[in-house]
Amino acid sequence: MKKECVAMLLAGGQGSRLYVLTGDMAKPAVPFGGKFRIIDFPLSNCTNSGIDTVGVLTQYRPLELNSYIGNGQPWELDRMDGGVHILPPYQSATGASWYKGTANAIYQNIGFVDMYDPEYVAVLSGDHIYKMDYSDMLRCHKQSGAACTISVMEVPWSEASRFGIMAVDGEDRITEFAEKPKEPKSNLASMGIYIFTWQKLRQYLMEDEADPNSSNDFGKNIIPAMLHNGESMMAYRFDGYWKDVGTLDSLWDANMDMLLPGSGLNLLDKSWPIYGRTPVCPPTLLGPKADVANSAVAKGCTIFGEVKNSVMSTGATVGKGATVIYSVVMPGAVIEDGATVSYAIVGENCHIGAGAAVGAPPESAADPDQWGIAVLGPDTAVGPGETVAPRTMLDKSHNREVKA
Amino acid sequence: MKGMHGIIFSYEKKTGLRELIEHRVHGSIPFAGDYRVVDFMLSNMVNAGITDVGVIMHGKCQSLLDHLGTGKSWDLSRRTGGLTLLPAFAYAENRDSVGQFRGKMEALGCVVEYLEHIRQDHVVLCDSDLVINLPLQEVLNAHVAAGADITAVCTNVLGDGSDTYFKLDDIGRIRDTIYNIHTPEGCRCLNIFVLSKALLLKLVEDCMAHNQFSFRRYVLQERGRDLHLNAYIWDGYAARINTIETYFQRSMEMLRPELRAELFCPQRPILGKENDAPSSYIDPAGECVNALIADGCDVRGTVRGSVLFRGVQIEPGAVVENCVLFKGTVVKKGAVVRNVITDKYVTIRENTPLVGAGEYPLVIARGMEV
Repeated sequence: MKKECVAMLLAGGQGSRLYVLTGDMAKPAVPFGGKFRIIDFPLSNCTNSGIDTVGVLTQYRPLELNSYIGNGQPWELDRMDGGVHILPPYQSATGASWYKGTANAIYQNIGFVDMYDPEYVAVLSGDHIYKMDYSDMLRCHKQSGAACTISVMEVPWSEASRFGIMAVDGEDRITEFAEKPKEPKSNLASMGIYIFTWQKLRQYLMEDEADPNSSNDFGKNIIPAMLHNGESMMAYRFDGYWKDVGTLDSLWDANMDMLLPGSGLNLLDKSWPIYGRTPVCPPTLLGPKADVANSAVAKGCTIFGEVKNSVMSTGATVGKGATVIYSVVMPGAVIEDGATVSYAIVGENCHIGAGAAVGAPPESAADPDQWGIAVLGPDTAVGPGETVAPRTMLDKSHNREVKA
Repeated sequence: MKGMHGIIFSYEKKTGLRELIEHRVHGSIPFAGDYRVVDFMLSNMVNAGITDVGVIMHGKCQSLLDHLGTGKSWDLSRRTGGLTLLPAFAYAENRDSVGQFRGKMEALGCVVEYLEHIRQDHVVLCDSDLVINLPLQEVLNAHVAAGADITAVCTNVLGDGSDTYFKLDDIGRIRDTIYNIHTPEGCRCLNIFVLSKALLLKLVEDCMAHNQFSFRRYVLQERGRDLHLNAYIWDGYAARINTIETYFQRSMEMLRPELRAELFCPQRPILGKENDAPSSYIDPAGECVNALIADGCDVRGTVRGSVLFRGVQIEPGAVVENCVLFKGTVVKKGAVVRNVITDKYVTIRENTPLVGAGEYPLVIARGMEV
């Protein structure tokens, strides 16, 4: 059946900058905020915005992501008509190829989009933490009659050279786009969220595919080509919380932002709920000497020790006399009695032995430039009494330290 | 042998649960921070591989209906079989009194057509007010091995006079069923029975033909001598929720790690209805210890020895001790609440002291602002 707007969610990236966390899973499947995974944010945004047809483009290690999304029921995307569809690369009579780039991923699924014959297509990223009403952006897109609307936000001028920067005229019409400019002409950064008029995008995808020199990327090829051809392109200003959690530091930061009043990311906000698939487990038990402060705690945890300024995910355990500070503890991780975890990301089902020490506060570092958060990949075991220094990354094979 | 079929009886009964059953039947009483009592027997069934469950509905069942929905949370939303809600008495055309639940045989008699279509060879009958993690498959195996007509699950832990007790002989057969006794003795019946579909149909027909409504009286007692009644002794945790005091005591037991490990063992998970609440935010002005905390809570005050259901808010300066606070309870600044059970969406106003007796808690009915 015809849909007004279909969302295409780019979830195929390896997330190589998340290193050990994404050894076995795609970046969007990484746990976030205790009960969620990163992809819950764009999926919930779709549902809350009234978009009921979503294609999720997967390529890298899709097992975890596929089983997590399942039939889409937690996001009410299990529809008789539309709903969520996982779209991996596929073979056809003329051959087969991996998704060569973000634009190529959509190109290869033109057939999927055409099935719903939409007026508009939203192209979203699977690795951003934000709450956004796409229906408002769509309304602006329709009003302006543009071929493409790009969501932007103001960033500090000093950081503008790290982003894709849009220069706009007085009506927020995009006049120029520069990827990571040395001398930015504006401080409006692209958030990697696009709404296209489908027939326009379709045409540009075909042309892009025909160009052997193209890297088939939205930011590098499609957007510049549209601008170059004088297509009408609008900026949509967003002033809520938004963070690309593509690096370990930003992933840790975004988790901490949930605990920070005024960060704009409010854990308990009910006005724009984030949905997720939650495992079966009883509520969290705080023991007689538990000492929990300024922390987000998901259900299923057992906490006997100290937890401060941290995010405890579903089913994590903190033993007696153990301490967790400024850390993100992912689902099912066990921190045994007397262990210390500070400024760390502890991956799913990690086991930290009694008395072990993972990470350390920045003030303890002799050279602040050498300090960083410690990261344990999923299923990593740290033996009793062992020490994992700050800025270290360990994966489950353990004897192999992963270099950043 | 083609497995088991589950039948859960959910009906209004006169118990000491007062305000907690003002709006609901026993099965839908919230328990252990994230569950309804019926979740335990329902999960036991699912964990034993049961795919078809009928729930006999009677009385104030709206809350239970909301909770069970299509049965999806228990994987019981199936094309064939799955969860079937049985508003038994809606079918009873020639029933003289509509209100009171007069017995399980009458209820079953009302849905005899449903019983005839059961696809399995055996049926397990149970109440919805029991908190237990029972391996029902083992009960069925024991039933078949003993060649019994009916197997009753029972425990050696005595209860009170309102329970049913069995006298067993040397080989574990039930020789007498007694009820309303002043000093409890024998084996306490947990109201879980396994029998064949064929026998169940025969008993229902026979009882209806004789206007006999009570399973205990007319099956266990009157026909007990002609039947092979086998006892399956369960020595694990089992809690019947029948008074405010037992509800309160059983709730507090959930703070004990060893009971938590037994009741919520990963091999036989207790499934409840999933929810969309985010993680809880815990930043107590004082301490937050000995507490069971569900998702979506906002804890800024002191909490000791309490069970907090989903979305409970404790404001800074508030003190909550030895309490069970249902979903959406708000305890405002400076309020001091001790030995209290609050039903859903109760608000305790600023600086309000609210103290119940240690063993006999104060119950605040649903939606009250105190």
